[in-house]
Amino acid sequence: MKIKQSGSTIVFKVIIYILLTFMAAVCVFPFIIIISGSFTDNYTIITEGYGLLPKNFTISAYKTIFKAPQDILQAYKMNFYYTIVGTGIGLFIITMTAYVISRPEFKYRNNISFIIYFTSIFGGGMIPWYLMYASVLGLKGSTFAIWFPALMSPFLVILMRTFIKESVPDAIAESAKIDGAGHVTIFLKIVMPVLGPGLATIGLFLAIGYWNDWYRSSMFSTSSKTWELQFYLYDLLNATQALRQMAQNTSVSTADLPTESIKLAMAVVATGPVLLFYPFVQKYFVSGITVGAVKG
Amino acid sequence: MKSKENRKPEPGLSAIFEKEYHGKKLGLLAGIVASVITLLLSIPFVKWIYIINPDSLFQSIGVKEDVIGKLMSSYNLYDMLSFVKYTKQGNIGLFTMILLILAVASVYFNIIFVIRVFMKKKESKGNLHLYFTAKSAMIFNIALSVVAIVYMPFANKKIGTDAIFISPIVYVVLILSIIAYAAVKIVEKTEREIYKEHGFLYELRKNWVLFAMLVPAAVYLLINNYLPMIGVYYAFTSFNFRDGLWGSPYVGMKNFEYLLKADLFKLTKNTVLYNFVFIALGNILQIVFAIFVSQAGVKWFKKTSQTLMFMPYFVSFVILKVLVYNLFEYDSGVVNTMVAAMGGQKIDFYNTPHYWPILITVFYIWKNIGYGMVVYLATIVGISDEYYDAAKVDGASLVQQIRYITLPLIKPTFIILFLFSLGSIMKGQFELFYQMVGTNGVLYNATDIFDTYVYRITTTQPLSIGIGTAAGLYQSLFGFVLIMVTNFIVKRKNSDYALF
Amino acid sequence: MKKIKKLFSLLLIASLVISLAACGKKDNTSGNKNENTPTPTKTAETTDTPAEATPDISKKVDLVFYVMGDAPKDEQVVEDALNKLLLEKANATVDFQFSTWTDWTQKYNLELTSGAADLIYTANWINYATLANSGAFAELDDLIAKDAPNIAKSMDTSLLDQCKVGGKLYAIPNTWPEYTVSGVSYREDLRAKYDLPVPNSVENLEAYLLGIKKNDPKQGLLSVTTGESSGLQVAFDAANILNYKYPWVTPNGLPYGLAANYDTPSTVYDYWNSDDFVNDMKLMKKFADEGLWSRSALSDTNDADAYKNGTCAAVVAGQNPNKDIAAITEYEKNHPDWKSAYIAYGETTGVIFPAHATQNATSILASSKNQDRALMVLDLLLYDKEVNDLVEYGILGTHYEVDANGNYKNLSEDYKYENMNTWDLRNGDFKLPQESDAILNQMFTKYGELAAKTKFPNVNIFGGFAEDYTAYEVERSAVSDVMRQYLAPLQAGLVADVDKAVAEFRNKVKDAGIETCQEQFKTQWAAYCDEHGYK
Repeated sequence: MKIKQSGSTIVFKVIIYILLTFMAAVCVFPFIIIISGSFTDNYTIITEGYGLLPKNFTISAYKTIFKAPQDILQAYKMNFYYTIVGTGIGLFIITMTAYVISRPEFKYRNNISFIIYFTSIFGGGMIPWYLMYASVLGLKGSTFAIWFPALMSPFLVILMRTFIKESVPDAIAESAKIDGAGHVTIFLKIVMPVLGPGLATIGLFLAIGYWNDWYRSSMFSTSSKTWELQFYLYDLLNATQALRQMAQNTSVSTADLPTESIKLAMAVVATGPVLLFYPFVQKYFVSGITVGAVKG
Repeated sequence: MKSKENRKPEPGLSAIFEKEYHGKKLGLLAGIVASVITLLLSIPFVKWIYIINPDSLFQSIGVKEDVIGKLMSSYNLYDMLSFVKYTKQGNIGLFTMILLILAVASVYFNIIFVIRVFMKKKESKGNLHLYFTAKSAMIFNIALSVVAIVYMPFANKKIGTDAIFISPIVYVVLILSIIAYAAVKIVEKTEREIYKEHGFLYELRKNWVLFAMLVPAAVYLLINNYLPMIGVYYAFTSFNFRDGLWGSPYVGMKNFEYLLKADLFKLTKNTVLYNFVFIALGNILQIVFAIFVSQAGVKWFKKTSQTLMFMPYFVSFVILKVLVYNLFEYDSGVVNTMVAAMGGQKIDFYNTPHYWPILITVFYIWKNIGYGMVVYLATIVGISDEYYDAAKVDGASLVQQIRYITLPLIKPTFIILFLFSLGSIMKGQFELFYQMVGTNGVLYNATDIFDTYVYRITTTQPLSIGIGTAAGLYQSLFGFVLIMVTNFIVKRKNSDYALF
Repeated sequence: MKKIKKLFSLLLIASLVISLAACGKKDNTSGNKNENTPTPTKTAETTDTPAEATPDISKKVDLVFYVMGDAPKDEQVVEDALNKLLLEKANATVDFQFSTWTDWTQKYNLELTSGAADLIYTANWINYATLANSGAFAELDDLIAKDAPNIAKSMDTSLLDQCKVGGKLYAIPNTWPEYTVSGVSYREDLRAKYDLPVPNSVENLEAYLLGIKKNDPKQGLLSVTTGESSGLQVAFDAANILNYKYPWVTPNGLPYGLAANYDTPSTVYDYWNSDDFVNDMKLMKKFADEGLWSRSALSDTNDADAYKNGTCAAVVAGQNPNKDIAAITEYEKNHPDWKSAYIAYGETTGVIFPAHATQNATSILASSKNQDRALMVLDLLLYDKEVNDLVEYGILGTHYEVDANGNYKNLSEDYKYENMNTWDLRNGDFKLPQESDAILNQMFTKYGELAAKTKFPNVNIFGGFAEDYTAYEVERSAVSDVMRQYLAPLQAGLVADVDKAVAEFRNKVKDAGIETCQEQFKTQWAAYCDEHGYK
């Protein structure tokens, strides 16, 4: 059925295309600056600033980084570790919890939902939270303290619960139960298989959270060996110690190091992988997000 | 086996409690008696604690002459804290706080209970709800009196005297409440049989798998959220290392008074305003662009624009900082380089606070537009084509379709997202502010929010844990009250949209 | 029947609870007699263990030593070697943990709060006295005799006395006397090249920097940013320039805008409310307008290596002779044509005093469960030559060697001199001479002579004072916040109207409770001056 488009509709569509293009450009613009800066000669950056196109093209910043990559590789390794462990365990806990509070026969589902939601509106604050991990549990310096605190968030649980409710009608679970299936079987055999988009969505949120975190390293790391990638970057940008280390590893004197462009090249190296990862999950993404209320 | 027994109630205490009296079970009356007595004893005129040996007490806590005048010989539940302040003993302060919280809770539940009994409101499951309230009230009464009884030896030991004496009325409350609890439990049991309702233990036995599946989440929440909540007590102490976190002197509301005088208003204003603009403007733009994307017909364009707009969400705050600095720096920042190239006057961003609310908002939206847009897009994609086809047949223009179909159908999603973000209106976005503003004090008036304030104050001054936690507690409470009120209003208007 | 039973049992439990509570009370009254004696503090309790001639080291203990800054590349290598020695000598291992210079104030304070470490670096510039006063560190007086024979025997008691706070010892200093007089490091080669004045006064420093700017516009001038010091004296690095005018701006001066001349320490005046302050802030604005530092300086992060890299032509804050020597060494290696020179502010004002013992010291956390062993290890780290050399220089033959003249010579970039930032473990007797020592000794002799001429010759009158701010800690926190917000832009000269900004700062700092802080501080300070006869 083809309906003729009226003039106003065409104008409206044109406006839509223009605005979308503009917005997309605004979103991409800073990336271009960073990438162009990372290819610009260091001296040019210091004296003339940045531009949309590299003024004096050079790849010396990347050369320096990859000449002695051990530090950044270590940070990369740790970041992969935190992201994989955190996202894996987080997804497991979130899905399981969401399943329980989505079951109509579970009498306390609303109470549990509220207990989960409550943590997003009330909290003990930074110091008690820090002390819980650092002194009560004595986990300062451990990798556990870095991935554990971000395992789940109320929002993600509620998101997952809505998703389970929408994709697994109660009737199916009910009939499985009549057939003698226990909750574990229903969860693993009936619910999990249809959760693809939901898992992709929530997994992506968790993974981005882990990949981009620097705060927990700043709080709990006691050695550069356990640093998250972003904290490594933060330290690099702030204290130049890492830069000095780099100079040492590459036996360039600190003064000759392309400091400014290295910072930008590092930003590219740190963000690149996640950006490349996104298109692969995008197709699941949109269908995975449906939001429902806290109550059951 | 049990049910058989219940069908033929044996004579005895339980039968007495089952007896109807003025339309209510006698068991409930026991509860009412206990409640009323507790309530009467909880009014501020009734003293709970007596100081029987003032001189030894004064000696132990070493108060000065001028303070002795202020000390009383007896205290009720509510002014005990004023006494604790003089003892300079943190542990007693914590204990007293618990006592006070219990007292408030038990008064609250007792009042609710008494009101419920006399309201005669019939509910779907008979009096079960009422019994539940009665049991809650009694449990809090018992907890309160037990804690008060334990308080006596504890405080005496901590201060090192035996001057503190708990009034005998506490024991009366305890005994009455226990009897009432048992009585209510008995009447509840028969009524439960009628409505086929089961207690917690029964549920636990039946659905233990589901309970077991909750254990990991429970452990997580306990460690990460609930146990640290106890730490809000630090807000009432003046921390020092010697006495430690729990033993530091109790200072009452001093930290809050201080905050009120110093920064509370500014922080509240900044935090709420920023978050409100983030939520409102963010959501509106996200909806607008979600509709745009859904209306863009060309598939590759749809997909590409969506991907590009999502990209900023992947940028970490650390990198955002580099970006912002390189854009707005005075000497070689992109913006100023351009301005200078066009012959304009360079803009001094980093010393001019009033640019920053705009910059921070812009970058917040920049970072989150793609993410929020996708959430709305998912809802729009889920709308059945039939609606649109019908509208097209009726000759509705594109704008009309959006106005009358799309917008109403994404309203529920909007409200839920809105309420959800309201919960964090007093917090959140620490990293955004911390990385964008850093230690630049000039910008604080325009950019300081609670999270940055707490972080700064507690980490740069090692002894300011008290004031930092106080700010955090205020922040939490404010947010809590806000969400409760909003939810209440929403529930009144349309209970479908309420969060809980 | 069952129900009655249940009810009775409930009642029984209730009565039991009551009677228990009553018993608890009785027990307690009898126990009270003992409780009446002053409750021993935590630290005292651990020392209550019967003193033995040789402490029991049968149990292996893993200690954590928290130090400042960043870890060297070969941290693990040196640590392994060190632990092999320590296991033999004290059956203990030490894990060095580093604060990193990124957000170090925050990290150091969090570490103290969590109490995870055993040994910790401490110093007057990170508020040693205040922290000791509030009980962060273990009292060491009684432990020394038992656990630290070398310290007890060899350490100068006057050094230990300097570390005492309220009559009790909380830290062990290093044993290498030095002058950490603050001053300005500047590029002597640039100065000579453009024929500029030696920057030995505010005017000359300005002329020196402007001269460089004129001749070489690409050369960076000053690298300054918001002060990280929690000492509440200066909010922006550049304000240290004022040290040329007043002898009391230095890190050893008084906080809260108070000032006292070195000759009359007990006469305290309020600098922030004086006309001098307004004029000085106008001066800072003039400097800022002349472009001596970046207009984004308040948001810049602290670049500790700017001077070494040549991206700035002078450093005015946080400098001391040793840091200048480090820069000289760096230049010699990488840029032989660059020269660095040092002017101590005291050379202009005539006020110079030696470093206080608490300039670099080690404490044991009060929360440490192994205080005895920690002190034993500290004793070894300081006084066992083998152990000390390892920490200070690394592994002989791999990281360093001693050349024909007996000088220390670094062999590896992976572990340089004092690369673990263990300035607190310097032992004057073991310290290997270095080539740069000649310049350093020359400086020290000069300062020694100047210091001898002051009213209190060669005594650091500021260092021994321990402020106890527990009573006005909230006010202090608020004042420090106001300083960041209103004093930093003033001192950075980045305000439009100085008079207005000064008035605003004064108002805000007053609201924050500066008067309480000043009052209380003055009282404590007067008592301290009185006690030591600093009139």
